[in-house]
Amino acid sequence: MSGARRIEEGVRRPDRVTLRLDGADLAACPGESVLAALVASGARRLRDDREGTARGAFCNMGTCSECTVWVRKGAAAWVRRRACLVPVEADLCVLTHAPEAT
Amino acid sequence: MTPGSSHPDILIVGGGLLGCASAWHLARRGLRVALVEQSQVNAGASGQNAGSLHFQIERRFLEQGEEAASDAARIVSLNRLAIAEWQGLEDMLGRGLDIAMHGGLMVAETEAEMALLAFKVARENALGLPTRLLDADELRARAPCLSPHLAGAAWLAEEGHANPRILAGAFAQQAAREGAVIACGARLTGLAMQADGQYRATIEGLDGLGEVTTPRVLLASGHWSARLAGLLGLNLPLYPVPLMMNVTERGEQVLPFLVQHVGQRLSMKQSEDGNFLIGGGWPSRFRRRADGLPDLDRPGEIVEANLLGNLAVAARVMPGLAARSLLRSWTGTTCISADQLPLVGEVGKAPGLFVAAGGSLFTLGPVLARLLAQTIVDGRPADELALFLPDRFAHLNAFAVLP
Amino acid sequence: MNASMSYDVAIVGGGPAGMAAAERTIGAGLSTCLIDEQPRLGGQILRQPPPGFAVTGWQSGRLYRAARALLARVERLDAFDFRAGHAVLGVGAGHAEEGGFALSVQPLATGGVERIDARRVIVAGGCYDMPVAFPGWTLPGVMSAGAVQTLLKSPQVLPGGRIALFGTHPLMIVLAEQILAAGGEVAGVHFAQPRRAMLAALGPRLPGVLRAWRPLLEGARGLANLRQAGVPVHFGSAIVRAEGGDALEAITLLRAGGRERVACDVAAMCYGFLPQSDLVRQVGAAVRWAPGPGGWETLCDEGMRSSLPGLYVAGETAGVAGSDVAMLRGALAGVTLACDAGALDEVEGARVAAALRARIARLAPFTAMLRELADPQAYLPEPELETLVCRCEDVSARALDAAIAACAEGDDGFGASAVKLRCRAGMGLCQGRSCEHAVIRRIARASGREAAQVAGFTARFPARAVPIAELLERDAPAR
Ligand SMILES: Cc1cc2nc3c(=O)[nH]c(=O)nc-3n(C[C@H](O)[C@H](O)[C@H](O)COP(=O)(O)OP(=O)(O)OC[C@H]3O[C@@H](n4cnc5c(N)ncnc54)[C@H](O)[C@@H]3O)c2cc1C
Ligand SMILES: Cc1cc2nc3c(=O)[nH]c(=O)nc-3n(C[C@H](O)[C@H](O)[C@H](O)COP(=O)(O)OP(=O)(O)OC[C@H]3O[C@@H](n4cnc5c(N)ncnc54)[C@H](O)[C@@H]3O)c2cc1C
Ligand code: FES
Repeated sequence: MSGARRIEEGVRRPDRVTLRLDGADLAACPGESVLAALVASGARRLRDDREGTARGAFCNMGTCSECTVWVRKGAAAWVRRRACLVPVEADLCVLTHAPEAT
Repeated sequence: MTPGSSHPDILIVGGGLLGCASAWHLARRGLRVALVEQSQVNAGASGQNAGSLHFQIERRFLEQGEEAASDAARIVSLNRLAIAEWQGLEDMLGRGLDIAMHGGLMVAETEAEMALLAFKVARENALGLPTRLLDADELRARAPCLSPHLAGAAWLAEEGHANPRILAGAFAQQAAREGAVIACGARLTGLAMQADGQYRATIEGLDGLGEVTTPRVLLASGHWSARLAGLLGLNLPLYPVPLMMNVTERGEQVLPFLVQHVGQRLSMKQSEDGNFLIGGGWPSRFRRRADGLPDLDRPGEIVEANLLGNLAVAARVMPGLAARSLLRSWTGTTCISADQLPLVGEVGKAPGLFVAAGGSLFTLGPVLARLLAQTIVDGRPADELALFLPDRFAHLNAFAVLP
Repeated sequence: MNASMSYDVAIVGGGPAGMAAAERTIGAGLSTCLIDEQPRLGGQILRQPPPGFAVTGWQSGRLYRAARALLARVERLDAFDFRAGHAVLGVGAGHAEEGGFALSVQPLATGGVERIDARRVIVAGGCYDMPVAFPGWTLPGVMSAGAVQTLLKSPQVLPGGRIALFGTHPLMIVLAEQILAAGGEVAGVHFAQPRRAMLAALGPRLPGVLRAWRPLLEGARGLANLRQAGVPVHFGSAIVRAEGGDALEAITLLRAGGRERVACDVAAMCYGFLPQSDLVRQVGAAVRWAPGPGGWETLCDEGMRSSLPGLYVAGETAGVAGSDVAMLRGALAGVTLACDAGALDEVEGARVAAALRARIARLAPFTAMLRELADPQAYLPEPELETLVCRCEDVSARALDAAIAACAEGDDGFGASAVKLRCRAGMGLCQGRSCEHAVIRRIARASGREAAQVAGFTARFPARAVPIAELLERDAPAR
């Protein structure tokens, strides 16, 4: 677990929404990136490399692709996205592993 | 060039698969081999291709009507040799080459395409190639990741793929161990036949100009071969074809086979690492030089419609592909001959001048290089090359003037 | 791909450079489309909080004043198209008859790929933190300084309870202050270079540099603030390794006094910045190896024209020089383009351009000093043989070296692409952005060449990995 947290002093945020991350619920602020929501929740391991070793986000600016996850809005299809570029909104599901083939 | 190699038994021009494999076979048979490559080993089509090992009759032959197809069917005998060659290659070179021969499918979407496949399979079987027609259910059982709408496929157990990133380099390494001198960054810029029948080659290298005198020259220079033959005033009917390829990100292994399409341009396979390689002969477009002519020396640029067309066929055949990400599209230039068959052997008008070029020479490259080396050492064409000798186009050189 | 839209100008990148360029092209009456994959305008230095957030005193420091003023002006402009959250995948040749450029653009929210046609293009893609491989650097929690800073700036998130900073770039001082201001704990600021090396870079240039006294003053004041807050600031303190199980727990540093193990849950590296170059290289504009951290900066003339007619560059894409220079170069690109397009009077354009160039020249001594002072080359940590150099494809230094050795057999001119073909470094999701500079440096070292003499990876479409389904959204005409 990391000591990550949202800065509260001097910051007013919209009401939280629920983000589904790998099947579990997570409170997140609309507008912040999915990566920010994950980081704030203490989640650091975003994928495993080929040796099964944990990996996390590196650049938070769309360049390293380490934060690539699967994202689904409502009933739409799963899409591959860099989590640091996807704003949180209601009805968003995130998977750090490939969805079951449909 | 190093001075020691300025009088080799043979000068090979081109460090692609054909050049490197020929260098190895010739060096093993005791010839003093010098190979010049204008950029780096494997920098041409040999390192840019799809890596397909396809032994069924290619779609491009079937496309030109029944007569051409029956002509092209003659290549089947060579394909059978190629299968054996690939099966023994890792042992021969003493290293892994990511060769996967788990089978290949040429799929059909319509009944008309199924009919074409049936025609093709009958022809192949008659020629001793054990392809087999699979109906829709058999196809689904064999490759559940492919689309259920497919009508069926032709199956050949020996097809597959290999890693074009390492093959030519592996041959080059072995050739060097057998004593071949391989010079990169060395370009053939001049070629003349002397009165004594020897060739004098001018090589522009990193350290200036060099001269090589040799009784034999092998043009294994891919689509450049025709222009280089022009240095001697000779015509080779080889035409450059700019193509494109695509690769997806890695994913779990779902497709152990090579997949082609009988009615559409498609080749698709999953690499050892899990990436999908998607190609099949979709053209790219040459950039223009300042004078407006096509620039054959630079990789072509991608034609958007063809990129989309290629991906669309692939995703139709394997729907799961749509969810994968395209990582990179690249272009490369291969060549075809006037009758679509490779050109391999001695050019009669210029004794001692050999050529090895043409399309699909990844699949056929290893066996053709061996047969060519045998031809050069024996001093007469290997029987298996009868169909591919450059002199079937001897009429194009009727007016050439050589010493 | 969806139907095309046509503009006089398309600008890639909505940072200081892109905004400044847009202000000029719009001012000249040219139809302008500004495209950025980030959800809001501002670029890296001004990564804005999401809409709906209210942040008191956001980026109110002096360093940000000019950029904020520009942002405020551009946000008030209404006569242009800003495509936020749109990733540019490719820049290619436009229509056969009309010329110009065609951009392939992916709207990240709705998906699919659109085509944007523009007679002229300005690439102002900015730069990114130089990724540096050392043992343990792939552990979750080890990240770029930019990552920490942008998490603070935009979503107002502190990524860790104890954050250690290491590298060679003075931006660490700014960042450490920002972490403190956010209520975080800084587990040390570790400059790899000794203090005297920094002073040596400063000394001879002092007269010229003093004209840009403000950042220097801010730096000195920052250092004093950190000391006062009890944050250890070390010089000559080099990273050795990062440790942890599933995530970072500590880093080890080496300095004159011995080794120090620092417990932290985030360690951020700050060795300088590499220009974003994928789009310009893809379309075929000439680039050169950049000084210091390296990477490819786009060659341009004094009007920011690249080697390709109709393609301009601005900001860090043309060479990393900080946000003030980025803004000026952006304005310069906009003015040159407007003149070339016949939308701005030549004489007036030349006058404005000369003034902008004079201001850039005044900043040059400071930029040069900063580059020298922050130069990471002599202080890069050494990966162990098992350390992964290519994060995406898990290629270790050992595998990379083997590939380099194999390429070197019988060939002394090989480049990064040949090495990539052998060992897969650069073949992954990031398309080589993370490891290219390291691959080039290792090749240079092994073959006794300068990095600038080693050819990089070939840049290809798409500049960002894109799902095939999205490319195919419109039925493709088969050919
Ligand atoms: C995109 C693409 C996909 C393909 N897919 C397949 C496939 O799936 N299966 C298949 O069988 N085939 C495929 N091919 C064809 C196959 O790649 C080629 O037929 C084969 O690689 C040719 O090998 P080569 O050695 O003759 O030529 P190349 O690999 O092109 O080598 C020729 C070499 O000669 C060098 N050279 C040229 N001029 C000079 C000079 N003046 N001096 C010195 N050196 C010179 C060049 O630099 C080059 O390295 C594909 C080709 C492409 C482009
Ligand atoms: C993470 C980070 C933090 C920094 N913090 C500071 C700081 O605090 N103080 C300081 O003085 N300097 C800072 N710098 C340096 C800073 O980048 C520059 O001084 C300034 O922002 C450069 O402006 P620019 O317009 O050239 O680029 P940027 O501000 O980087 O803007 C470029 C924009 O282009 C977009 N872009 C790039 N490629 C694509 C594409 N293919 N498709 C769509 N959009 C694309 C990016 O999303 C980005 O928004 C920082 C740099 C980084 C990388
Ligand atoms: S963290 Fe690097 S791309 Fe998102």
